[in-house]
Amino acid sequence: MGRSKGDLVIFVSKRLIQLVAVLFGVVTITFFFTHVAIPNPCYVWSGPRATQATIQQCIDKNDLDKPLFDQYVLYLGKLLSGDWSTSPRGVPVLPTILAAFPETLELVLAALFLMVAVGIPLGVIAANNSGRWSDHLVRTFYLSGWATPTYLGGVVLSIAIGPLVGLPHSGNFGSIPSFPEPFHMSVIDALVSLNFPAVVDAIAHLILPATALAFINLGIATRMTRGSMLEVLPMDYVKTARIKGLSDFWVLYKHALRNSLISTVTVLGITAGSLLSTSVVIEEIFQWPGVGRYAFESIVKYNFNGTIGVVIFFAVGVVVANLIADILYGLLDPRVDWR
Amino acid sequence: MAEPLLEVKGLSVDYEVGAGTFHALSEVSLELPAGHVVGIVGETGCGKSTLAHAIPRLLREPPARIRSGEVRFRGMDLLTLPKWKLPLVRGTGISMVFQEPINSLNPAFRVFDQLAEAVRIRKMRESGQAPGLVPGSEGFDYSKREGPKPADALTRPLLPSRPEARKGFSRVLHRVDFREDALDYLRLVRINDPETILDLYPHELSGGMRQRIMIAMALSEKPSLLIADEPTSALDITIQAQVLTLMKELIEEIRTSILFISHDLGVIAEMADDVGVMYAGHLVEFGPVDDVYEHPRHPYTKALLRSAPNQYKDDGPLPSLPGSVPNLSRLPSGCSFHPRCPLAKPVCSDDPGPVLEVQKGTAAGHEAACYFSEEVAGLP
Repeated sequence: MGRSKGDLVIFVSKRLIQLVAVLFGVVTITFFFTHVAIPNPCYVWSGPRATQATIQQCIDKNDLDKPLFDQYVLYLGKLLSGDWSTSPRGVPVLPTILAAFPETLELVLAALFLMVAVGIPLGVIAANNSGRWSDHLVRTFYLSGWATPTYLGGVVLSIAIGPLVGLPHSGNFGSIPSFPEPFHMSVIDALVSLNFPAVVDAIAHLILPATALAFINLGIATRMTRGSMLEVLPMDYVKTARIKGLSDFWVLYKHALRNSLISTVTVLGITAGSLLSTSVVIEEIFQWPGVGRYAFESIVKYNFNGTIGVVIFFAVGVVVANLIADILYGLLDPRVDWR
Repeated sequence: MAEPLLEVKGLSVDYEVGAGTFHALSEVSLELPAGHVVGIVGETGCGKSTLAHAIPRLLREPPARIRSGEVRFRGMDLLTLPKWKLPLVRGTGISMVFQEPINSLNPAFRVFDQLAEAVRIRKMRESGQAPGLVPGSEGFDYSKREGPKPADALTRPLLPSRPEARKGFSRVLHRVDFREDALDYLRLVRINDPETILDLYPHELSGGMRQRIMIAMALSEKPSLLIADEPTSALDITIQAQVLTLMKELIEEIRTSILFISHDLGVIAEMADDVGVMYAGHLVEFGPVDDVYEHPRHPYTKALLRSAPNQYKDDGPLPSLPGSVPNLSRLPSGCSFHPRCPLAKPVCSDDPGPVLEVQKGTAAGHEAACYFSEEVAGLP
């Protein structure tokens, strides 16, 4: 049996070693894409009225006159030593991302929470009433979410539904918070400072962007749950649970859902990664101070170091999300070996 | 005469699928007095399993549809009971062992979790903490069980694992309180080393072992009625013998009421007091098992008994019945057996067909649905 704690440690270590390879590939590809596409961004960085001297100074400072491969080796060396360079305006990349990434994480986790808390029960309801009107209603609901482009859903929520229901629709705090932000996650920071009005405020600001992010991906959780529930419900062990005298609720949500969740969790792991990239659009619409907005700005302003930094964080996010999904998969299904 | 524990009256069940309407059960009526073991035999597709599932309302509706009839169990009509009340009848009222032990335990939970769940439901109902049928006292006796066997003394802890004071039902019962009960029921079904088995997952156990656990789980709720739906068909032959011996012993020990479904005439002869013979969704003969086997009063029963392999008869190929089972979506008019019946006369195809009638000159309670049942004895 490959299910002891030691096996889990080996399993996680193997995946983390794979992560190093993934990161190396991601950094290499992003570096060459950006630098080959725009070989000399100094003309942009220095502004429209820059003198030739200023531009030359910028080129010297950024080693842009060296061969591309030398630039790459230089950059890798700096990256490994922990210096992630700066933006063209001299703002260091790593601290900026470290401050912004948790904000995005908060948004993604809130969206995942909504997908689990709303999407999975909807899938169970649809499967249990398959072919009846409630099934059709649920399917219409999640298909409409699926068919909505990210920006459209976000804009509609932000400018139409948000003001209508009186929810704040931009930024993560109504005013500049008067308490420290050690975690850069508004809800948790407010909780830690025991500032409960701020907790309510932070959650209120979170609802619309998280809903926008979740609504589009809700269909995946609901559809997977519905599909695997339909496979599980005719199984004998569901009949066993019924004949024991368990009520429908426990039959569905304990015995049947436990076995259906296996495929849902796998898909949610993949989705969690893609939520990060979807957040780029959502954060721009809702003025959320997360890493998605930083990514957008970096790309528009030829901030190569910033772009690579964000890509590294996104890659780690995707790999870790899948790793967590795989661990949960093993926890849910005792027949799976961690190997 | 007291009311029987289970009374099925004119039960008809259809399956409505794309290809048409299949009449899986047509006007089935039978009685099961408390403490009796009633066997149902018939070939594949004759509606045995549908009957077993229809009684505790386990059929998936749709595609199944209960067209008409009554299932009276301990004075309640289960077919008119609102859906939310059904769980209250299941478990302590009616429990069931299924055909496929491979699929009938939940793969995601340990044996203990599944067994404790059943014990918990029963104890909560007994103590009045949860609504539901309390195990009745009709004709079965769990006290007759033997004490622990010598081998168990080795695995049983010397001191009780929990203080006796906790047995008061002042608090909500939790599953960890049921370890001893779970162990008891595993010992009841003759499982060696129950301590280890409890902490395993179903996929770590053999088919025979899983079926024993299913039986333990069903019995742990002390059901008034146990339905065994071909409990040994999916097991290989040596394990079949073991599980059958176990069930036979349990029937002796715990005189509970059992509806035993099987396609094996020999098994029914061993287990049952009464037997019902089914053909194409109809119950064609019903009566005390010895009498039905010795003096069949329906030509189908006669043919079925004649084609059973017999180790003492070694003279040529086994006799078989010409023709095949009718399509359940297009049953013949009148008696559904008449196209294959050696006694068939024109009257046999007139609607409605023959109904179960008490047979003169046989043991009490012997019924058959045939116009010419007197002539069956003369068939080869």
